[in-house]
Formats: sequence, structure tokens, C-alpha cells
Amino acid sequence: MTAETQPRGRKPRRLTASRIGIYAFLVFAAAFFLLPFYVMIVTSFKTMPEIQQGNIFGLPTDFTLKPWSTAWAHACTGVNCEGIRVGVLNSFEIMIPAATLSILLGAINGYALSFWRPRGGNLIFAVLLLGAFIPYQVYLYPLVRMLSKVSLYNTLPGIITVHVIFGLPVMTLLFRNYYVAVPVDLFKAARIDGGGFWTIFFQLMIPMSGPILVVAAILQVTGIWNDFLFGLIFAGRDHLPMTVELNNIVNTTTGTKAYNVNMAATILTALVPLIVYFVSGRWFVRGIAAGAVKG
Amino acid sequence: MQAHKGRHALGIAASLALGLAAAQAQAAEKAEVIHWWTSGGEHAAVKEFEKAFDAQGGKWVDAAVAGGGGDSARADGINRIIGGNPPAAMQFNTGKQFDELVSNGLLRNLDPLAKEYGWKDKINPVLLNAVSQDGHMYAVPVDIHSNIWLWYSPELLKKAGVEPPKTWDDLFTDLDALKKQGVIPLAQAGSAWTQALTFFNVMIGEGGKDLYMKVLKDRDVAAVKSPEFLKVAQTFGKLRDYVDSGMQGRQWNQATALVINDKAGFNFMGDWAKGEMELQNKVPGKDVGCIPALGHNTYWVGGDVFVFPKLNDKAEIKAQDLLAKVLLEPKVQLAFNEKKGAVPVLKDVPSQDMDQCAQQGLALLKKGDYVPSSDILISPDMSGSITDLVASFFTDKSQTPENFVNRFAQIIGG
Amino acid sequence: MKPLRLRRLSAQVALVPTWIIVIFAYIGTILWTIRISFTSSGILPKYDFVGFKQYDRLFQSSRWTISVENLAIFGLIFVIGCLVLGFLMAVFLDQRIKGEGIFRTIFLYPYAMSFIVTGLVWAWILNPTLGIQQAVQNWGWHGFTFDWLSRGDRAIYLVGFAGMWQSAGLVMAILLAGLRGVDEDIWKAARVDGIPPWRVYLSIVIPMLSSMFVTAVVLLAIAVVKVYDIVVAMTGGGPGISTEVPAKFVIDYLFNRQNIALATAAASVMFVAVLVVLGPWLYNQYFRQDRRAS
Repeated sequence: MTAETQPRGRKPRRLTASRIGIYAFLVFAAAFFLLPFYVMIVTSFKTMPEIQQGNIFGLPTDFTLKPWSTAWAHACTGVNCEGIRVGVLNSFEIMIPAATLSILLGAINGYALSFWRPRGGNLIFAVLLLGAFIPYQVYLYPLVRMLSKVSLYNTLPGIITVHVIFGLPVMTLLFRNYYVAVPVDLFKAARIDGGGFWTIFFQLMIPMSGPILVVAAILQVTGIWNDFLFGLIFAGRDHLPMTVELNNIVNTTTGTKAYNVNMAATILTALVPLIVYFVSGRWFVRGIAAGAVKG
Repeated sequence: MQAHKGRHALGIAASLALGLAAAQAQAAEKAEVIHWWTSGGEHAAVKEFEKAFDAQGGKWVDAAVAGGGGDSARADGINRIIGGNPPAAMQFNTGKQFDELVSNGLLRNLDPLAKEYGWKDKINPVLLNAVSQDGHMYAVPVDIHSNIWLWYSPELLKKAGVEPPKTWDDLFTDLDALKKQGVIPLAQAGSAWTQALTFFNVMIGEGGKDLYMKVLKDRDVAAVKSPEFLKVAQTFGKLRDYVDSGMQGRQWNQATALVINDKAGFNFMGDWAKGEMELQNKVPGKDVGCIPALGHNTYWVGGDVFVFPKLNDKAEIKAQDLLAKVLLEPKVQLAFNEKKGAVPVLKDVPSQDMDQCAQQGLALLKKGDYVPSSDILISPDMSGSITDLVASFFTDKSQTPENFVNRFAQIIGG
Repeated sequence: MKPLRLRRLSAQVALVPTWIIVIFAYIGTILWTIRISFTSSGILPKYDFVGFKQYDRLFQSSRWTISVENLAIFGLIFVIGCLVLGFLMAVFLDQRIKGEGIFRTIFLYPYAMSFIVTGLVWAWILNPTLGIQQAVQNWGWHGFTFDWLSRGDRAIYLVGFAGMWQSAGLVMAILLAGLRGVDEDIWKAARVDGIPPWRVYLSIVIPMLSSMFVTAVVLLAIAVVKVYDIVVAMTGGGPGISTEVPAKFVIDYLFNRQNIALATAAASVMFVAVLVVLGPWLYNQYFRQDRRAS
């Protein structure tokens, strides 16, 4: 990963006009990127009367924590007023098994495709590759019907299945590209030692897949957490993920719009991927580069 | 020994089965109901159904789905019916929305219940017609709603020194006066269906019921190209100048609330708006003025129905029977419709307790000054195309009425 | 040692779940979708054959036309905006500046957030009554109006802009990695020859980074075709239907408008369009290399 090496631009000079210009641009850009986050935070600590005055960029004068507690435990979606916390639980319930399964399956695929060259391997690879780029709308309706047939539509296993299905292309690609770079001699040696398919996978491949597993986990955790479309269509009323709950809360037709509650709920929804981002640091960038086919 | 063991096992199985049956009997009247009544007033109304159903031994399982004027709830219910996991009952608008479910044999034929309770003599014939196919009844109508009301704030009109309008010209005079006062002249919601509702207000109020029937029922393209229809388009287009920029993202009840709280002068909305007034202890007809289809005073017969998907479980079917019966009990009808701001579907329900607006509506119904709702006349598909056209015209001032008429003619002409 | 055939067999067995997914969830669904698009189905699939009737209707539908136009506008703003802003940020970050890590973190964090969150935040900031417009008016500029979000002819631009905010960091990250790979000697040579830096970027560095640019464009283009969440969150397709997009068209007709034949026709058009554009690139990118390698 080249991003970790030193910058190779022109040598720094004294503080010239162009240096000032560079910093001015960067600071300006940073302000642009931070502004929405700032607005979200200040809005979430304001009272509604203060918001009505229309000073969206101002700091809260009448600081309150109430929007947060409302967003967490009392905000309504339809007639249910249990807040966004329901969605948090659902999102974890969906994300953990879906991420685990799709990573495992992706790793098996990548390993099988790069070392064992099974019959039809190229076809699998081609379909998955194309599948990563095609708009999901093409798959949706038949998938609804298929899942209904096996009683998985609108269930937790159903939405997990959908995430595994559509996480498969990127995961397969990720692991295939990683394993392709593993020296084939290592694999051959293991085979001469009598290692079978699964032995080699679990005892040789997985232990040396640390970095790519981290990258895969980052991609899947943020990707599944941020999903809206699948959750909306496949999760069913009892398992709606946080993104869908959030949109429902914002669009629920009771009383006037509580922008402060909405913003608190929005921050809560963004929290998990943001934590992943800040904790993972450079790994996140690596994930972007590695998962370059992610849709 | 062997036989004995066998009998023993049989005994266990039998007692198990008995236990199961008992458990089922206990949960017998459990019914999951999908609906989209999620605003404050609607929620209060649907609670009346829930209370009555539970009081007679049922267990109402609420599956409210918010959003899109019922789009999301209908999608949810239809997908579950098709997916083989149907709810006990689900809401539709009176009209063609559930036709295809009927023709695919997915809904229960309610004739036996209708016979038992004598519904066919008691229910308003327009509605009975709308819920029947080939003489068989497939849905239970629960309320009559008119979409074509104009609500106004008497206080703001007084402040602006104008009278409640009698004609569309009056309305524009009033709107101008309100604009000068610096209040929102016309409170309009952002969702496309509310804009379509406003359009039908203009179409029936300005154009009259004959024009409406010619266009929607007879699909008469010449009527769309007539000067009368052009006038409708022009009037509708003119309304664009009186909405505020807060329209986008505003829900219907928030728009209505602006009028209720004297922050805006007028709002076009169905009579379910009264539910919101009730919630704020305002009296419809007094604190908030009502005009049924400004211009040509007309009532619109639409509303809501419940359909009952075919089920296999006997206990669940029993629950459906009970629910259907409860929904149409006169007492329940009255309690529900009062909160909902609607008119009961039964002919013999007394009307003297109703508010002034409902009285006006009933009078129009009796006189025969009514039209069937657009959902009764046209398919959801065509209805959707009209909504698209109306909404894109209403939110983009660069579109001309002439252009609107041409595109409308294309939709009607099929 | 087990015979080779047996071990190959276990590889095949391991791929069974993937085969099932590929056959049913990918190939099967696509074929099924295309099949339905040639029928007259409404809520339920009906397996008659009506030729291209649904496609005719689709291309005459103003909602579809608007959706496609919006996709083009959104796409242009989003892709060009991300590329320009991302490139500038990458170049400026590559000037041995202090606090590079902090800047980089700030530029990229929106990408960790969902389009739903992005849409909601920007809808709030751009709120025509309480957002930027009101704030600027409160600051004393009373005539200031910025109500594009409630204007049918402008709202889609703002959606593109919000999308750019979310994804520009992605381009920055990709291009910065590329810039770090540019040979130091090129800069030395340029300085010796007295060529101004901007010329070096324009005529030497950008062409060198072309594969990075292609990757970025492909990534962004996929996001464009799939755009749905941000529209739902930011405008709900409104005002009116002025910010509808094809993906939303399909979902609406599939689940709300009860016309699955028209919906699948629209989905099929999207599918074919993506196939035509991306097919050659994908082939080039993966399979030609493969052949070369083996």
C-alpha cells in the first residue's frame, strides 16, 4: 500500500504565497467536509423553539440532552414509539452473522478458485464479477418470490441470506486476489505433505490471511450496516435495520418535525461505521483500494 | 406389551393434541391487521376498532405501516399475501386496488358473512358496489371519506378582511389578501398524493362532476381537450403561486396543522383532516372552516376497506369472522368514524351527533351530488401516472397548462 | 495422499453454496426478471407474452424519462465533482504539509457513512425554511434565497452535490496512493527544466495516473447507476417527481404501483445498459490479464 510511504511531492519551501494557498484550500475543504457533522451535532443539542428561529449554524443557547434520549428510546415509527434502539439491535443481529458468513464463503471461494482451479471456476468468477456491478433492481423481484417459497421472506435468516448473496462478489474477489499472490510452492508443499482441501484452508491459508480478513471485515461491517435497500425489502417489520428505522422516524407523520431528534437519531445511526473508520485508520483506506469493485 | 406401549404413546399424542387445541382456542381470535393509520387522529380512530375487537374476545395485533399515503402498507401486505404469509386483514382504499388479488383468488369471499348479518341491505350501495365483483363481496368497507374538501382558518380570513370563498375567483382574492398579510396563503404538503388530491379538488370543484365523470369514467379524450378542462389546468397552475417553499418534505397532517393553528389560510385535504382537529380540540366547521369541492359543491365517495386474505388455519379464520363482524357494528362504526372524521358506511346510523362538515357531506350524499372516488374509477396504474403528471406540473412552474392538458390526454387515451 | 480427483471433488463441494447462489440468485433472477418484462403482469406474475409492450410504455412514461435525465444530471455532478475535488485534495495533500493525517481523515470520513445519513443531513442543512437560507437571512442578508430543494428544476443538483460530499474522499484516497507512486525523478527533472508544477500535473502526472482515474470512475459510475438511498432520504423523489431516479422507479413500480411487468422492464433496461458499458471494461480488466498470466 503506497499511501503509507512518504509524500513525494515537491520539497517544502519557506512559507510562500503558494504554501499559504495550499493550506487555505485544505482548511477550506476540511471545513466543507466537517460542516454537516457540526450541524448534526449542534442541532441535536438544541430545543425545537431554538431551531425554529432558524440559526442552523449557531451553537445551542439552550443546551438539552432530551433529543438524544427521545431518539434513543421514544421516537416514533408509525404508531410504535420505541426509538431507534430497536434498530440498533436489529442491525447487529443482521450484520454479525451476515458479515461472518459472507467473509467465510468469500475466503473459501477465493481459495478454491485460485488454487484448485475447479471446473466452472471461470464461470463463477465471471458471474460474480458482473454481479458486483449490476444494479440490484434486476434481482429483487424474483428473489422476493424465491425467498417466499422457502419461507425466508421477511425473516432474519432471509435478510442475512440476501446480504451473503450480494456480499459474495466483493468477498470472493478480495480473497482471490489475495491468494493469487501467495506463492504456489507453499501450496504444493502442503499438498505433498498430504493436506486435503480443508486442512490446507484452515491450517495454512486462514492463518496467513490476517490482513485481508481485517479488510474484509471492515468492508462488510460498514457495508451491511449502511445498507438500506435490502433491509427495506427483505428484513420484514420485526427486523428492520437502523437505516430503515431512521428513515421511518424522520418520515413519521405525527405532529411537527422534530429536527433535533432526527439529527440525534442520524448520528446514532452513523456511529458504528464511524467508529470502525476511526479505529481502523489506514486499514479502511486499504479496504477501499482492495475492494475497488464494491458497488 | 407392544400394544400397550402403542396405546400409551397414542394417549400422549392425544393429550398433546388436546393441549395444542386448547392453546389454539385461546389464541383463536388473534388477528394481525395491516393498515396505514399512523397520524395522531387516525391512530386514535383505529384504537376504537382495537378496543371493540379485543372486548369481544379478539386480540388485535397491530401492523401499522407508515408512509406514502398507504403505498408502503399496501406493498407490505401484498408481498405477504403473495409470499404465503398473509395477515388476517389488511386495509385498502375503496376501489380497484385489490381487484387483482380477487381475480387471483387470494381473498375470502365474504358472501356468507354478508348474508348472516344482512350487510347487503345495510351498507351504502355505492360502497357495496365498489367492494363487490360479479355480485360477490370481497371487502368490508369501514368509512366514507371525501377527499375534496377545502379547509380554512376563519381567524386569518377575518384578519385579512375577506370572506370565505364561494367561487374560485373568490379564493384567489382571498389568497392574495393572505399573501399581503405575510402568512402562508395555501398550506400544501410535499408528497405527490397530496398534490393529486388538490388537483381533484380543482377538477371537480372548478370543472364540475360531469367533466370528472367524462374524463375518468368514460376516458373521453375530447373532454380532456375541452376548454373546461383547460380552465381546470390553469386554475390548478395558478395555485402554484400561493404555496410556500416549506412544502417540500412536509407531511399532510403538518400542512393541515398549519391551518388549524392559524399559520396558513387554506389547505386542500380529505375529511380525515378532522381527526387532527379533534386531536387539538378544535371543532370542524367552527374553528376550522370547511367547503366541500369549492365551486360545484360535491361529495366524493371513497374511503377505506378491509380485505381478508384466504387462510388455512381454522382459528385464524374464526378471528377474521369476528373482526369483520365487529368492524360493521353500528356502535363501533360511529365511534371509529367520529374520531376518523369520516361518515359511517351503514345507512341507518343516526347523523344528528355529527359535526357541521359531516352534516354538509351527508346532505350532498342524500341529494345525489356525489362522485365515486378516483380509486373506484381508474386502476392504480393510471392513478399513479396521473399523480406523477400532476406532481411534476405542480412543483415546476415552467410547465404550462396546455402542456399539462396534452399529457393528461395521453394518459387517459391510454 | 488421497487421489487428485477426490481432492478436486472436495473443492467442488466447497463451492456448492456459491454455485447455488450463482445459479439461482444471479443467473436465475436475471432471466426471470427479463421474462416477466415481456408479460402483462400486474401485482402477480402472469406468464403470457406481450412482446415489447412494457418497453414501449416505459419509454413513453414521463416518470421514466425524468428518472433517466436525473440520473444523467446526478451522474455528471457526482462523478465530475468527485474527480475534481478528490484530485485537488490529493494533490494538495501530497505537498509535504503538516497534519496530513488529520486532513485525510476528515476528507474521507463521509465515505464511512451511509447515503441515508448523507441525504438526511443535507436535507436538513438545505431545508428551505430553517436551513442555510434562514441562517444567512438572520446574518443580515434579508434578500437571500436558496430554496433549490423545493424547486422541481433544481433539487436534483443538490442531490448530486450531497453525493459528492460523501464520495469525494474516496477519489482522494485512490489518487493519493497513485501520487505517492510517482517517481521523484520526474519532479527533479521538471524543476531542472523550469516547468511549472501545474504543467507537470496536467501533462505528466494525470496521464500516469490514468488507471487510477479509471478505477475511480468505475467505482463512482456504479454508485450512480445504483443511486437510490440518497434520493429517498433527501427528497423522497420530490418535489413532485422531479428527483426520481431509475432505481427508485423500479422499486416503486415493483412494490407500490403494483405493476411488476413495467418494473422488470425498467430493471432489464438498466441491466442491459450496464452490461453494454461495463462488459468490455470488465473483460479487459480481468480476463485478458488472466489469459496473459496463464
